[in-house]
Amino acid sequence: LGVFADAGVLGVAGAREPPVGAVGNETPAAHAEDVVDYVLRATLDPTTHIIHGDGTITWRNKSIAPAQELWIHLYLNAFKNQLSAFMREHIGGRGSSTPEEWGWIDVRRLALRRADSPDGAPVIDLWPRAELRREAPDGQVTADPVDASGIASDAGGHAADEDETDVRVPLPYAIAPGQEVVLEVAFDDKLPQVVERTGYHGSFHMVGQWFPKLARLEPNGRWAHFPFHHLSEFYADFGTYDVTLDVPAAFTVGATGALVESRVADGRRIERFVQHDVHDFAWTAWDRYRSAHENIDGVAVTLLYPPGYARLAGRELAALRFALPYFSSRYGRYPYDVLTVVHPPHDAAEAGGMEYPTLITTGGAWWALPGVLGPEIVTVHELGHQWFYGTIATNELAWPVLDEGLTEYAEVDAMAKWRGEASLFDIGGLELSDVAAEAVGGNMAVHDEPVAQPANAFSSGAAYGRLVYARTASLLETCARVYGDEAVARAVGTYARRYRFGHPNPEQLVGAFAEVMGPEVAATLRSALFDKGWVDYAVDEISTHKAERPAGVFDRDGKRETVGPGTGGDGRWESAVLVRRRGNLSFPVDVELTFGDGSTKRERWDAVEEWKRFEHSGPAELRAAVVDPDDRVIVDMNRANNFGRPDGGVAWAPRTLERATYWIQLAIQALSP
Amino acid sequence: VSEAGDSLGQAPDGMRARRHPWAILGLWGWQTALALGASWPTASLIHAVFGASPRGDAELWVPGGHALLDFLWHDAHALAPVTSTAKAVLLAAAILGLLPMAASMFAMTDDVGERRAFVLLRSISRALRAMPALLLLLVIASAAQAGSVGLGWLVAKGVDMWFSEALGDARAQRIGLAVALVFVLAASGLGVVHDLARAVVVCSRTRALRALVRGARAFASSPLSIWWSWAWRALAALAPVVAIAAVASRIGGRGGFALVALAVLHQGVVLARVALHLSWLAKAMRVVQRAP
Repeated sequence: LGVFADAGVLGVAGAREPPVGAVGNETPAAHAEDVVDYVLRATLDPTTHIIHGDGTITWRNKSIAPAQELWIHLYLNAFKNQLSAFMREHIGGRGSSTPEEWGWIDVRRLALRRADSPDGAPVIDLWPRAELRREAPDGQVTADPVDASGIASDAGGHAADEDETDVRVPLPYAIAPGQEVVLEVAFDDKLPQVVERTGYHGSFHMVGQWFPKLARLEPNGRWAHFPFHHLSEFYADFGTYDVTLDVPAAFTVGATGALVESRVADGRRIERFVQHDVHDFAWTAWDRYRSAHENIDGVAVTLLYPPGYARLAGRELAALRFALPYFSSRYGRYPYDVLTVVHPPHDAAEAGGMEYPTLITTGGAWWALPGVLGPEIVTVHELGHQWFYGTIATNELAWPVLDEGLTEYAEVDAMAKWRGEASLFDIGGLELSDVAAEAVGGNMAVHDEPVAQPANAFSSGAAYGRLVYARTASLLETCARVYGDEAVARAVGTYARRYRFGHPNPEQLVGAFAEVMGPEVAATLRSALFDKGWVDYAVDEISTHKAERPAGVFDRDGKRETVGPGTGGDGRWESAVLVRRRGNLSFPVDVELTFGDGSTKRERWDAVEEWKRFEHSGPAELRAAVVDPDDRVIVDMNRANNFGRPDGGVAWAPRTLERATYWIQLAIQALSP
Repeated sequence: VSEAGDSLGQAPDGMRARRHPWAILGLWGWQTALALGASWPTASLIHAVFGASPRGDAELWVPGGHALLDFLWHDAHALAPVTSTAKAVLLAAAILGLLPMAASMFAMTDDVGERRAFVLLRSISRALRAMPALLLLLVIASAAQAGSVGLGWLVAKGVDMWFSEALGDARAQRIGLAVALVFVLAASGLGVVHDLARAVVVCSRTRALRALVRGARAFASSPLSIWWSWAWRALAALAPVVAIAAVASRIGGRGGFALVALAVLHQGVVLARVALHLSWLAKAMRVVQRAP
């Protein structure tokens, strides 16, 4: 019997001092409001991949209205058949393949325990009255209505007829505001073959969305519930999870929260995990795991990985050593004492790249080249979710930009700070940065759809990825390059600290930018997020010529003088550059003029107006002009029109010719006999 | 004296690449001309896009690669014909390259004292006559090598699947790779036999199949020694490519002297690799000349 119960282990670490250099001056909340507590016990049969679960859910009505019903998410049913909302939305992205084996959750019991119920029954069985399936008006999957504050509401039918992921449970009596109820639950999970974050492969088990989970009741008394959509993630209230897992003794377990009790009896390993201030619980069990343990910035990090992946595990730990303290300093101290990182085996790779409170999954092949930083990027990204999803629990269906978008920005920023310009690829002298790829990816879809819209409103997985992830990251990186990294760090840091353990919407994010960086920047951000804002700077016209005396007939001092065209001036050169800003976004930029004598001159353009002509008179001719020479506005739609020459361009491409010739020579030698 | 009656100007010991620098330069020139032809459309396209920049195409090589990635997105359609051209050149190089290679081999069989122009013309003439045999050898050897590598891939995949459940994917794939390596080594042995058969064609003017048999017999007489003669040159040809990549990464998008220096280094690497290849082919000719 090994018991690790320790109040210090269970507690959150919000009271710790932020490190020196932290940005943002708000003190984040130390704890979340305790709305819903789960005490669950789960027993895994690794042969049938069935989990038997039971326990209690203690829920408090924190809204202003009596609750007449409960909404419960049974998201494992997304993989039950091809008529679930998830499987019917054929729009690409992760989880698009049909599971090799279906998975589901059967609720065996859902009962309301209350001694003072009106009919005197101590326990009221709710499940017989539950509406597992409902008819949509047209029999189709429909978008969830989203109200003005961005909260998906329960108004209108929005569950497909066969979808069983979003269940309405009528209550026998209303639960008054402030009242607490206890639900007894019992359920059986049949895990699918790994698909979209969850499932099994062989004896590997990644268990997410596995228990009946209450939707969130908004303060206004409306349930924010929704089916498991293909591109959507989740939304829930904070609380305490106390989960006891029962697996074969040979299995290693990783889970949300701190391990407080562990024992082996009768060939079974029984481990209990407890965590306050979280809104979900996931776990994994496998009899092949290798593990590494390290204390990083005061957090007990456990890395679980397959045999033969030790080198890759070392790379992932290195990424955590940088990113964990970096994120803590930028977005508020990581509030938990533990972090578990799971690297799934190759054949279960779709379980990788996912976030749960205090548990993330990463990915990458054991042979991943050191110069290709995919494993580091995934690890840093999922870690970033501990802030933008974990502690700031936004509605991921309504506003994926707030979790995936901000996390992507946190990722590219951290990777740039850590690995510089080679934060994505660094092989053979070619250095590519994570943020450069995001900038181009975001521009690809900018005219198609808004960035800030519900996940299930996106037309395709590709559009969702390019806009939510790439566009948001490159927008905020542009703000950092134009207005200063420190300012953006303060704005995002203020948002992250102020809404820790909260459920903000985009207005709160824009508000933090307005507060820290001013209304103009906030307006730009709003336009970019909501109105498909875009920008393209261009050098449109450029000219240079020797100054000449004005030609014509002039009456001066009582004499008439005729000056012919081309009459010499004072030897100076007159130059002009017309630059344009196309699109509805505006960022101030530099315009750099290069002269024949090798000198350069920079002019600042606030770019409020749509065009500006820069005129210059000097001793040398203008050779070239460049808008945004430092590449600060990385959301610029077209970099290739940012420069111009009066002669139309005379430079050739010696570097390209040299390198291309060399590479093709090598290719000829490889292919030639 | 060859089977066709032509006399070889060089005794086996004299067939060495270092004694025939013009052969090395000729083959290098052929490859360079082809590569320049293939890369010119790319350079022209980039000139058209970045010519107006004061930094020229250095924009593309700035660390971080934003301009490069932006260019690849915006000009994807223009890049399609450019890459098609490069592919066509590589295909042509794979087939027509037999001619300069054979000419170089013939040149190495000639007396170094003869006039270069005469040697060149005679070598090309002999190479043209040997082309049918060399082409047939190329087809046979390529098919055999592809078969060996393909079979190796299938076996490795099977081994991977077989062991994956018991050992985990990383260990299973490593075992699979080790198994695949055996087939790759076998393919390299087939390549060595192919080169020996070419040497027979050059030295003895025999037909392809007969040359293949004689090449295989020569290889069988001392397989490890002959294979190593090829392998150390192949490894030596790899080393400067790796080394120069590090230099290139330091130079980045710089122009001027740095770019000239990089070009010189790159061409030095290409020239060295050509020399090592011809050195091996000369060795192959010596082997078949000495074989019983």
